[in-house]
Amino acid sequence: MTLSTPAKSEPPENESSDQRFDRLLAANGPALVRLAASYTNTTSDRDDLFQEIAVAIWQALPRFRGESSERTFLFRVAHNRAIDYLRRHRPPSSPIDADTILPDSRPNPEARFAGEQQGERLRQAIHGLPVPYRQVITLVLEEVSYGEIAQILGITESNVGVRLNRARQLLRTLLEERK
Amino acid sequence: MKLDPELELWRSEWQSATESPVTADLRRRVTRQSLYMRWLLVAEILITIVIGGATIFVAAIDPRAAKIILAAATWLFIAAAWTFALISRKNSWSPADSTTSAYLDLCIRRTRTALRSVIFGAVLYAVEMAFCLSWIFHETSSLNSTTIEIVTAITALFAIFLIRYRSRKRAELAYLLNLQLE
Repeated sequence: MTLSTPAKSEPPENESSDQRFDRLLAANGPALVRLAASYTNTTSDRDDLFQEIAVAIWQALPRFRGESSERTFLFRVAHNRAIDYLRRHRPPSSPIDADTILPDSRPNPEARFAGEQQGERLRQAIHGLPVPYRQVITLVLEEVSYGEIAQILGITESNVGVRLNRARQLLRTLLEERK
Repeated sequence: MKLDPELELWRSEWQSATESPVTADLRRRVTRQSLYMRWLLVAEILITIVIGGATIFVAAIDPRAAKIILAAATWLFIAAAWTFALISRKNSWSPADSTTSAYLDLCIRRTRTALRSVIFGAVLYAVEMAFCLSWIFHETSSLNSTTIEIVTAITALFAIFLIRYRSRKRAELAYLLNLQLE
């Protein structure tokens, strides 16, 4: 598998913070919404997390000096904020464990929405993955390269590959269960 | 580029799975508008009770023709305002469906109603002001400069508010119609 690695993007000259923020959010908004959805159970929570991510990006932008691509920077901020969101919204007795599949206690999507699309089934399955695998698979599905994922999550590229393989196996199992 | 069919399939499903931030923005708009509509309804009820009640009270304790006419005219204006409000808000409380297009339709409908209400508000204000000035003139046989200054100031402020509100709503409508075209 080959994934494209976007070049480090230089912001246009004379771009104000507001313009830069608007441009980044316009280009990456849907991906960030999907990322927020993978960490939350309801549309309202997803929108809340998306707002938090947007605020975090806005606050962090002045400190961005172009050490990585803008997209890497954006996803790193978004993932950190999402982990923080999970920490605040999860009971402390339920630690994140990559070796176990977290049970999905939500009602079966088919029961909630008749004729739901495949995409929603995939989203639900991804939501059932342990967080470290969920992070890797969501970034891969957003067409982020191994190198960028390694930078975003602070792990090695080989570790990205290992997590991705494990995530794919678990995802296949979860999708089979949801058929 | 070498493609992994399974990942490619998941990728296309994943990237079509969630609504865009535009939809989230629409939902927030609708929620904000709904809250505003509820507050407006409460304000209208209070105005009806306070102003309508006060004119009836005055006419009851001083049943001269002028006071009765004032009360009757006030209730006529209140009835006109309520009729416009009820017709405008018909089917405007919630989207027909939880889809993006339903939210967009509702947003557009409410914005158009707001633009119509600017015209209605201006006409109603003009009629009310004409009546009030005529009534004051009939009661006092003159209009002193203080009254005229107060009326002018209120009218100017109201006009500025209406112009700015209309301009904001027109921009909002243009944005929503543009979204509908996309």
